[in-house]
Amino acid sequence: MTDTTTELRPDPATEVHPRRVTGGKLVSNLVLLVFGLFFLVPMLWLIFASVDENATGALAWPTFTLDNFVVATSGDNLNALLNSVYISVIATVISTVPAVMAAYAFSRHHIPWKGPLLLLILMLSGVPITILIVPVYEQFLNLGLLQLVPAAIFLGVTSMPFEIWIIKNFIDAVPTDLEEAARLERAKTHQVILRVVAPVAMPGIAAATIFGFILAWGNFLIPLVLIPSTVEQPAPVALYGLLGGVFRQWGPLAAYSLLYSIPVVVLYLLLARLFRGGFALSGAIRG
Amino acid sequence: MTTTAEPVGAATVGATPPTGPRLDRKKFNWGTWPLLLPAFGLLLVLFLLPVIYSFYIGFTNLKLVGPTSINFDFTGLENVQRLVSDAVFHKSIVLTAIFVFGSGVIVTTLVALVLALAMQKGLAGLSTFAGAIVLAAFVLPPVTIAIVWYAASIPGGGMSLLIGNPEADLLNSAPMLAVSAANAWSLTGIAMLMFGAALRNIPGDIIEAAQLENAGPWTRFRRITLPLLRPTIMTTILLVSLLSLANFTIVYLMTGGGPGTDTMILPVYAYQQAFRFNDLSYGALIGNVMVVFAAVVAAIFVRLGRTDD
Repeated sequence: MTDTTTELRPDPATEVHPRRVTGGKLVSNLVLLVFGLFFLVPMLWLIFASVDENATGALAWPTFTLDNFVVATSGDNLNALLNSVYISVIATVISTVPAVMAAYAFSRHHIPWKGPLLLLILMLSGVPITILIVPVYEQFLNLGLLQLVPAAIFLGVTSMPFEIWIIKNFIDAVPTDLEEAARLERAKTHQVILRVVAPVAMPGIAAATIFGFILAWGNFLIPLVLIPSTVEQPAPVALYGLLGGVFRQWGPLAAYSLLYSIPVVVLYLLLARLFRGGFALSGAIRG
Repeated sequence: MTTTAEPVGAATVGATPPTGPRLDRKKFNWGTWPLLLPAFGLLLVLFLLPVIYSFYIGFTNLKLVGPTSINFDFTGLENVQRLVSDAVFHKSIVLTAIFVFGSGVIVTTLVALVLALAMQKGLAGLSTFAGAIVLAAFVLPPVTIAIVWYAASIPGGGMSLLIGNPEADLLNSAPMLAVSAANAWSLTGIAMLMFGAALRNIPGDIIEAAQLENAGPWTRFRRITLPLLRPTIMTTILLVSLLSLANFTIVYLMTGGGPGTDTMILPVYAYQQAFRFNDLSYGALIGNVMVVFAAVVAAIFVRLGRTDD
């Protein structure tokens, strides 16, 4: 905007402008280049080392091979990735389904002390998970629950407060007219939620679901502490083992990290697509 | 039309006493309970009660193994006394403050703000490239971030090449700097996203008006952009500090709190005490300190955000 006006009007008063603007542009591009490089360098290693025959921690041009990926997808490593899938799916279901129900109630029903309750839920989402791990470990130990499924359920609960907030905000934006129309047709509450509210608030519910999945997929501390059995451990704990092992193999480590990271990147791209379209409600209501 | 209808309506309401349920006050709907029950039940059992239980455990002698692993007792302020005279804990508080405020608040916020501003003016292709890379750094799982930064910080790694000294062993010579850089690297993306959205929401006509008044870029930034960004900056700082405070994975994988105790931030120290030194109660107490820390940080920013409005 600035440059077009200055170019169109080469008047003496604004003559200093073009030079200053290009200066700003130059600095901006320089900043982008330098920071872009700084952010790129660690990632570049990941990509290079994953296909490097003699990979080390050093950043170096690779001697191409795919063997690292073969090692990364063999035996225990593949098993750990599958465990990650189980854990994340369980955690996502456990967090999202109750979150949708609670979010609907918070959005539509009269609940005593609604404000303080919502504030409490918001505060919970800010509690560092690190502090929950000791009491939950103690509880699970006494009940014999130090296994994959209970750990996954706990993981789901930790992302629930945040999901309730996201979904509630989306349901708040759904016009009540739709529901009233459904109620006139004698629809039950669960029908209203499943058939009317959920489809319209889908971008929000999808966002919360993806978010819950990513958090569960990425969590390291909870499976590290709550899943003692090595066959049940997910990919992050397996990666920790590869990193800390005596004979560290950098190539497979990089290849495995890359494989483990790809689902998250794909999900974020999906999330970005969901929001690029905006929150399309216009089609649901006429007039 | 409405003005003439209103008195009539009011008169009829006044004339007939209301019968049936009051419609002006919302009633609690019993159908609400089944909807709230799953979320409330799970949050109560696996979130709220553990937080409360954690506060209790902090004042007991619970251990991971040994006789007091089952029959543990309330020991009052014993753990607190130990904490007060624990030199590692004191160091840990300082390191945590440096980590949270240095890397989280200052570096992340500044770099993200500079990037968001530069993206407005930079070449389209370069902006997209830098934006995608910075966001990718945020998107990567914590374990992957720790691994790439571990590799980048050892001799011959990417960071030692960038600083022009391939022999540099950053994890030993500047461990705090390495983990802080990794933390800032991973959080800049989300901050940049928030700043970018806020910058786009600044109306162009305000900037134009300022330009007509011959305000230079710096004045425009200081007098218009910065004040309008203030709420976003506050929210971002709060979010980034809480995320930094909760950051166990990156530091634990990169250094394990070491060398010695040079990167022993509170989450790592709590984990080490509880699960490496088997002292569950002491670990819980350190965790409780973190909650207080988080609450203080949150309170400060809520306060700062409010007073100026």
